[in-house]
Amino acid sequence: MTDPTLIRNFSIIAHIDHGKSTLADRVLQLTHTIEDRDMVEQVLDSMDIERERGITIKAQAVRVLYTADDGVEYTLNLIDTPGHVDFTYEVSRSLQACEGAVLVVDATQGVEAQTVANAIMAMNAHLEIIPLINKIDLPSADPERVRHEIEEALAIPADEAVLASGKTGEGVREALESVVRHVPHPVGDPHAPLKALIFDSYFDAYRGVVALIRVIDGHIAAGMKVQLMASGTVTDVEEVGVRRPVHVPVKQLGVGEVGYLVTGLKDTSLVKVGDTVTLAKHGATEPLPGYREVKPMVYTGLFPIDGDQYPELRDALDKLRLNDPSVIYEPESSHALGFGFRCGFLGLLHMEIVKERLEREFDLDLLATAPSVEYHVYKTNGEMLSIHSPQDMPEPGTVDRIEEPYLKVTVLVPPEFVGAIMELTELHRSTFVNMQYLSGTTVEMHYEMPLSELIMDFFDQLKSRTRGYASLDYEVTDYRPSALVKLDVLLAGKPVDALSFIVHKDKAFARGKMLTEKLRGIIPRQMFEVPIQAAIGGKIIARETVRAMRKDVIAKCYGGDISRKRKLLEKQKKGKKRMKQVGTIEVPQEAFMAILKVDD
Amino acid sequence: MTDLTTPTPGVGTRPEPVSLYVHVPFCVSKCAYCDFYSQAGGGELHAPFVDAALFEAGHWSHYDLLDDVPTLYIGGGTPTLLADGLVRLVEGLFETANVRPDAEVTIETNPETTDAALVARLIEAGVTRFSLGVQSFDDDVLKTLGRCHDAEKAREATRILRDSGAAFSIDLICGVPGQTPGSWVATLEEAVRCGARHLSVYPLSVEEGTPLAASIAGGRLPAPDPDEAADMMLAAEVALTAEGMLRYEVASYAQPGHEARHNLVYWTGGSYLGVGPHAASMLTMAQYRSVADGEGWESPPDGVPGPARVRFTREVSLTDYLRRPLQAPVPLEFLSAAEAAREDAMLGLRLASGITSSQAADAGVLEVLSELDGQGLVRVREAVDGEAIWTTTERGWLLGNRVFGAIWTAGQPSRP
Repeated sequence: MTDPTLIRNFSIIAHIDHGKSTLADRVLQLTHTIEDRDMVEQVLDSMDIERERGITIKAQAVRVLYTADDGVEYTLNLIDTPGHVDFTYEVSRSLQACEGAVLVVDATQGVEAQTVANAIMAMNAHLEIIPLINKIDLPSADPERVRHEIEEALAIPADEAVLASGKTGEGVREALESVVRHVPHPVGDPHAPLKALIFDSYFDAYRGVVALIRVIDGHIAAGMKVQLMASGTVTDVEEVGVRRPVHVPVKQLGVGEVGYLVTGLKDTSLVKVGDTVTLAKHGATEPLPGYREVKPMVYTGLFPIDGDQYPELRDALDKLRLNDPSVIYEPESSHALGFGFRCGFLGLLHMEIVKERLEREFDLDLLATAPSVEYHVYKTNGEMLSIHSPQDMPEPGTVDRIEEPYLKVTVLVPPEFVGAIMELTELHRSTFVNMQYLSGTTVEMHYEMPLSELIMDFFDQLKSRTRGYASLDYEVTDYRPSALVKLDVLLAGKPVDALSFIVHKDKAFARGKMLTEKLRGIIPRQMFEVPIQAAIGGKIIARETVRAMRKDVIAKCYGGDISRKRKLLEKQKKGKKRMKQVGTIEVPQEAFMAILKVDD
Repeated sequence: MTDLTTPTPGVGTRPEPVSLYVHVPFCVSKCAYCDFYSQAGGGELHAPFVDAALFEAGHWSHYDLLDDVPTLYIGGGTPTLLADGLVRLVEGLFETANVRPDAEVTIETNPETTDAALVARLIEAGVTRFSLGVQSFDDDVLKTLGRCHDAEKAREATRILRDSGAAFSIDLICGVPGQTPGSWVATLEEAVRCGARHLSVYPLSVEEGTPLAASIAGGRLPAPDPDEAADMMLAAEVALTAEGMLRYEVASYAQPGHEARHNLVYWTGGSYLGVGPHAASMLTMAQYRSVADGEGWESPPDGVPGPARVRFTREVSLTDYLRRPLQAPVPLEFLSAAEAAREDAMLGLRLASGITSSQAADAGVLEVLSELDGQGLVRVREAVDGEAIWTTTERGWLLGNRVFGAIWTAGQPSRP
């Protein structure tokens, strides 16, 4: 066990792309946790998809030993957190495991929406915040402006902000010194019953579920019988240890220590982020505060392009869920797309990542339908239904009212783009709440907006209308009644359930028209004419036609052309496999996402 | 409908005649739509190229491949740009190869290099036929295509060829952005009047990486409209058959007896040897083995069923070719008997003569054919000898990729 006074637990928090993972890399190098020759970029982001996209999806913890200027060797536990708003709850739990946070702000970008959101979260968790201005090696770095923004926007004194560069390593030692001097050491009762916080978990094929934990009181050791208070699960502790970042078993973890716990459990959903580990007998009576069930925000249908792959998709989802219990799914069948699953995700990025992992790690070709939110449908008989899919919407006659989730949305943007934000939010049924200047260069704007509008391409539009300067944060506040209708799309006269969507009645006509136009461009010409219609409750509101294909011929076909053209025919056939056969019509995947792009 | 008897392909059992193709990779200038391997000008390389091509052909003659050449085709590029060099090439090939006395010997040419004296010398050297790239008799269309000649130059070339007494074919392109139906009909009328006994009619296809593709991508030209191209292909059928020409292949029209024999070799599974950079060859396995043994080329992969044919292209640059005209071809494509049969079926359906039901059965495409029949893309009729003949309908020809794609990919596993 480590003397708690020599422990410092801290997180690095930042807006996405401000250089968090690179800084973490430098910390690992400087403390010789990883030797230079073993170094890869973004060490803590172990998934391919994290490295490729330069993002952190899973929380990570690593113990480093750091000999400070006072000559004492400290044990630092660095907890790397996801940087995206989809994973806000996970971040909040990671912060609970810390006493301090290094708040990284890009010296060229300044304070952005998730800088603010993360800083507020850290303050609410009573963490000591150490501001760090990163990327000072870039020619466009403006540390003075950023310092000013941190003070004005976050009310955090920044005169002692560390100036650093994750790229060159400059300032990294100063940051660690600052952590040692300013972040309080953990305090707990070593004699009280065990209380440890689970801030992440994952599935190891050989060892079962492994939890990342922070011990608050007492201690935990192999052989103990423990209980997970929220889920009620009782299990044996097979092993405890620390991550450096390879797993190093230790005898026990005491007050303030961060490490891993091998449970031997096979079901990750029993080991929930935010849950409290205590002794199975004579354990703590009160769990740690702040636990909540994670609820999916967006839902989509995932269907195998090749219907035969349905069982494989089920297996893949079962396996993926072991590592990511926040994904939920239930079987869904569609007349158009056959058998698939309705899946719930924490947000759009989470959805994209899961789809990509399923395709990549399990070799599946998947089609996703347009994302939807959870609607609360109150029927005239008083019954309330939670609807995740337009297909499940009851007949309009039986519905009293429909409620949809609303968000508090925060946009941070340079003043010259305020007009652009106003225009964009107007298109998305938003209510302006207020705005304030955080500094001469940053305005904070607050809106109320339905979540269903936010997932309608809002983020991409926000970025493109502000040349990438705007940043966004949001949280769900409540459910509110809306005048919503289900819009159906018919191809060649037949409704295609997977193309239906729910829309505000004032927008239905415009979106129906734009969608049919968009689909006319997306659906390739077939051997026959294909009418595309949009309808509400059987009434056609828009119509376009894909004319029949008349000519599709490879012209020259002499000696060398023969193999070339034959390969082209093979490629064409493969291209068709990426399309979904809906009745007799070949529909490309993007058709099912077209509704998201109708405001272009 | 033509009742053309096509040569029946043998599959690697007995020695077969080998047709000869020479690829001349030079042009006056590159046309906007062309993605064939050729370079503009290159005058200093003309003579070395003729040397290399003759050297290469001479080398293959040692393997008895050129003992009985039924057709010879010198294409490109623009072979007539070689002028004297081309005469030397033809004469050299006649010395090296045993070209049948009744062989079809074709030279591809373009209006800007069609010279009466040169044509006469080529005929003198043994050339029997010319294929002239006219593309259009409309100056605006020629400009869009990036051709380096105008309509008047094309007319002059047709007069030279007609006066020479040799048979000639002209190539036309339809579906060009900006080409009107009136312009197309006028071009067709001029084409039938000019004395050509063979016409090739292609819809324009926009190939990746060409200036034309860039113009379309950049919005400077509209993309070709497939419906307009379809209308023009139909107009060609009407106009040309009215003049007594037979559409014996999806893109080829001829007066009876003037079908392009060399092209029929390509479309009926015959053997051919390509000389020059980027020329393709197809040999029976027996023919290939003798070359491969002698040259130390790649052997066919092991396994049953053994390959029936091999097709190969060299795909080397001109300079590389001039340095080493005999280097081993890559890639090599070994076709199994089943693949060869399917390929013959696919190419056979490009022909008016179609394929017999036993050919279709050998290729394993009878089921696919019935499906295509249901869609009105092919039809079946009883021939005189009692065997059914499958042919492609007019609609099927317009939607050729559907037909040929279905035939070629029949029997391939749906998930590779």
